[in-house]
Amino acid sequence: MIQTIHMGHVLQEEIRTPYCDLVTRPTGAAVRHRIRAAMAEAKCRTALLDFSSIGLLDFSCADEVVAKLLRDPPPDWPDFVVLHGLNEAHRDAIHHVLEHQALAILAVMRVGGCPAILGRVAPDARTAFDRVVALAPTTARAVAAALAWPLERTREVLDTLALHRLIREDAGLYSPPGAP
Amino acid sequence: MTRVVEIPVSFDDKSFDQFAQAHGAWPPEERVLFDARSAQWASPYGLIGLLTAAQGLTEAERERPLLTVPTNTDVSRYWARAGFFAHAGDLFELHGKVPRVKPAAESDVLLTVTPVRASEDIHHIVGRIQERASHILHGELGIEAKATMGFAMALSEACQNIIEHAGTSGWVAVHAYSWRKRLGKRVVVIAVSDAGVGFRRSLEASQGRRYGDRWGDGRALEAALVQGVSRFRDPGRGQGLAGIKRYLSRWDGKISIRSGTARLSIVPSWDDDVPLREALPYFPGSQVQIVIPAQDPTRR
Repeated sequence: MIQTIHMGHVLQEEIRTPYCDLVTRPTGAAVRHRIRAAMAEAKCRTALLDFSSIGLLDFSCADEVVAKLLRDPPPDWPDFVVLHGLNEAHRDAIHHVLEHQALAILAVMRVGGCPAILGRVAPDARTAFDRVVALAPTTARAVAAALAWPLERTREVLDTLALHRLIREDAGLYSPPGAP
Repeated sequence: MTRVVEIPVSFDDKSFDQFAQAHGAWPPEERVLFDARSAQWASPYGLIGLLTAAQGLTEAERERPLLTVPTNTDVSRYWARAGFFAHAGDLFELHGKVPRVKPAAESDVLLTVTPVRASEDIHHIVGRIQERASHILHGELGIEAKATMGFAMALSEACQNIIEHAGTSGWVAVHAYSWRKRLGKRVVVIAVSDAGVGFRRSLEASQGRRYGDRWGDGRALEAALVQGVSRFRDPGRGQGLAGIKRYLSRWDGKISIRSGTARLSIVPSWDDDVPLREALPYFPGSQVQIVIPAQDPTRR
């Protein structure tokens, strides 16, 4: 089961103004608490946080909403959390705060729709991830062949990505979670 | 006894130290008369600096200051359109003719003088400014349209520093105008000011010991603006100013922060300012100025 949390709705419930901007730490913290509550109630394996109706996202809110969710995941945390509907400014803000704290999350941009990792991962992991996205669902052997990497190294990188919940591994097949 | 503080003829970040000096030891014991009769021009930094001085006196439980309004009616009308008099009446005993002009909705005043008291205010500020900012930044300064988001983020983060750190409320204003003498270009200027604790006191508990005898306003500004230090231990803190710097480096902008007796700037190539000035006349709280210049056609 995939749970979609519409960030615009969550924001409107919280601030009750006509604006659709995720700004300020108090707002970010309140939105994070609502997301945690929604995840705990739904108990889905994958959660999509849909930013498509969000205007501005500032650094403080990116930290409160995304980084703090990753740093302090709730007990009922889904296996996979994917950010959807990001614009370039959202992507830059989230990448900046995650990079600073050595965190990473999967994201799908509003335009293009291709999954990407925001935040800090090793260059190898980013390369392997891109190949998984291109070939998904795929095996470690196919990724190794495509990258001309030794199989053992490829498995290690893919297992690390799976451990960080950035790709899904199911019976030896790897794919990005939450892809439409 | 009354202390007369003359408002500089051209009141901006350059003449602000002269304004601060005129207060003497802060807070002045005497009632203060701010004499703006000779003022010919004021930047958003000057206008909200003046409100900050009055706010600081009020919070120091001094007698309500007096303000004589500019005698030049064009000047006083500009101050009115900038939203200054909408708040000045609460803080000053006003003398002189205050123009009955509504704060501007159509001019180069992108954001009239606006109080920053709580995070709700920042939602309104950011929400209100985006459409006009896009028009000015893209249409007049040659900055790509999507950079409006970064501009609003910089504004949001600068305002949040008041809520998070000042311990009191503050002010923000955003104007677009021509810097003929200083740059020969149009600029957008964000000014944010408060009369709060300032950077040194805000960071003292976490950073003071590290610097020992060298600790002061200048070191505090360097810690915050250059090193990204925050008074909070939370690893996600201190990124607001870093984000502003990143945005400004992309668009060749400038940020200056004055706090207490020091002012630190990230100086772009077009400016001849010095990065750090210390031993300035004391002024309470923090005053931030962000300048984004029109882009050269080759950069566009």
